[in-house]
Amino acid sequence: MKPMPAGLRVLTGLTVVLFGLALYMVFVYAPREVVMGEVQRVFYFHVAAGWVGALAFLVVAIAGIIYLTRGGRRWDHVAVASVEIGVVFTLINIASGSIWARPIWNTWWTWDPRLVTATVMELVYIAYLMLRQGIEDPDRRAKLGAVYGIVGFISVPMTFLSIRLLRTIHPVVIGSGDPTAEGAFDMTPRMLQAFLFSLLTFTFVYASLLWHRLRLQSLADRVEELKLRVLSA
Amino acid sequence: MSEAAERTDRTTAASGQLASGWRQYLRAIAALVRKDIAAEVRSWELVGAMLVFSLLVILLFNFALELQVQLRSEITSGVLWVTLTFAGTLGLNRAMASERERNSLDGLLLTPVDRSALYFGKTLANWLFMLLVAAIVLPLFGLLYSTNLVSPGLLLVVLMGTAGYAAVGTLLATMAIQTRTRDILLPILLFPVVLPALIAAVKASDGYLQGLPPDAIRPWLNLLVAFDVIFVAVAMMLYDSVVQE
Amino acid sequence: MLLQEGPADTLGYMLLGYGVILGIMAVYLVNLLLRFRNLRQDRALLEDLVDETEQSAQ
Repeated sequence: MKPMPAGLRVLTGLTVVLFGLALYMVFVYAPREVVMGEVQRVFYFHVAAGWVGALAFLVVAIAGIIYLTRGGRRWDHVAVASVEIGVVFTLINIASGSIWARPIWNTWWTWDPRLVTATVMELVYIAYLMLRQGIEDPDRRAKLGAVYGIVGFISVPMTFLSIRLLRTIHPVVIGSGDPTAEGAFDMTPRMLQAFLFSLLTFTFVYASLLWHRLRLQSLADRVEELKLRVLSA
Repeated sequence: MSEAAERTDRTTAASGQLASGWRQYLRAIAALVRKDIAAEVRSWELVGAMLVFSLLVILLFNFALELQVQLRSEITSGVLWVTLTFAGTLGLNRAMASERERNSLDGLLLTPVDRSALYFGKTLANWLFMLLVAAIVLPLFGLLYSTNLVSPGLLLVVLMGTAGYAAVGTLLATMAIQTRTRDILLPILLFPVVLPALIAAVKASDGYLQGLPPDAIRPWLNLLVAFDVIFVAVAMMLYDSVVQE
Repeated sequence: MLLQEGPADTLGYMLLGYGVILGIMAVYLVNLLLRFRNLRQDRALLEDLVDETEQSAQ
C-alpha cells in the first residue's frame, strides 16, 4: 500500500483544523439559547451528524448504481465504506437527538418524523451489513448489496413523508402542549453561522473518513492477496 | 412497389414483430404465474401455512391487546395489516425456497425472454397468494369482531397494499434466499423498506372503516400508489442483477 | 417589574450530548486505527512468509 498521498494529508489536516474551529463556534461563538439553555448547542453537531448519515446513504445508492451499470469492485468498496460511516453518524444523530429531547420534552424518545426516519435509516444500514455478512461470493455480495442500497435509499424519504403526514393529521402531544413542537427555536445570525460551519466541517469529516476507510480496504485486499500466495506456494 | 406502400409494409412488419414480442412477453409471464399456481394447488402448502399463521396472529393479538368484541377501527386496521405483513413474509420465504429446492428457476432462466418477465411472473403469483389469504382473513376477522371489513374502499386498499408488498418482497426474497441466514433475513430487509406502504395502508383502511371523507383518505391512497409504481419500476430494473445464475 | 426567568439549566445534558457525540466518533476512530495497525502487522508477517516460502521453493 502506498504511503498516505499528499491530498489525504492535506484533507485530514484541514478537517482537524475545521473541527477545532467548529467546536469553538459551537461552544463559544454561538450564544446560549434563550429558552432551552446550553443543551441547544447539541443541535449543531446533531444535525451535522444526521447530514453525514444522509450523505453517506446517497453515496451508497450512487455507488450501487455505478457498480451495477459499469462494474468495478472499487465502487463496492466505496459503498461499504460509506455504509460504515453512515451507521456511525446516524447513531450519533439518534443518540444526540434523544439527549436533546430529554430536558425539553421530558422524554427520551419523541416519535417525530426526523428521529424515526433516522432510526429506520439506521435499520436499513444494519440490514445492508447483515445481508453482506451472509454471502460468501464477493461478486454476489457486491451485486446484492448494490441493489439493497438503492432500494433502501428510495424507501427512506417515503418513510419520512408518511410519518410526517401522520403527524399533521394526528398531532401527537408529548409532554409539551404544542403538537407542532419539533425543537423549534429562533436562530440568531451567530447560531446560523455555527450551524452552517458545523455542516461544512462534518462534510469534510465524512470525506476524510471515507478516503481513509478506502485505504484500509486496499490494505485488507493486499493482505488477502498475500494469504493466497502463501497458501498456494 | 411504390415507396409509400413499401414503407407501410415495413411499419406493419415492425409493429407485427413488436406485437409478437409483447405477446411472447405476456405469455411468459402468464406461464410463470400458471406454474406457481399449479404447484400451489397441488399441495396448498403456501396459502395453507399463511392462513393458519394469520389466524394464530389474530388470536395472539386478541389476547395481547385484550381486544373487545366491538373493535375500535384504529386497532382493526393495525391488527389486520400487521397480520398480513407477517403472513406475507412466510409466503414469500416459502415461495422462493421451494423454487430453489426444485431448481426450476434454472429452466426459467434459459428462456429467451427479458428477465423482467421472471420478476412479474413471480410477483403476480405472490400477490395472488396474498390476496387469497386476505380474502379469507377479512371476512373471518369481521366475524370475530362484529365489524364489516368487506367494503369496496377497504378492498381497494388491500389490493394496493399487498401489491406494493409483493413488489418489493419478491425482489428482496430472491436476494435473501441466496444468503446463509435465508428466512431470517427477509423480514430484516423487508420491513424497514415496506414501512411507508404499511403506514399508508393502515391509515387508508382506517379511513374507510371510519367512513372518513375522501379528502382525508386520498393522501394515503396517493402515497400507496406512488409506492407501488416506484417500487415495481425499480424492482423490475434491478431483478436481473439479483437472480442467481 | 416582571421576574425574568432566564434559560433553563441544561448544562448537564449538553455535556452528556457532546460526550456521546465525541465519544462515538472517538470509538470509531480508534476502531479504524486498530484495524490499520493489525492489517499492517499482518501484511508485514505475510510478506516475510511469502519471501521465505518462495525462496525455499527455488
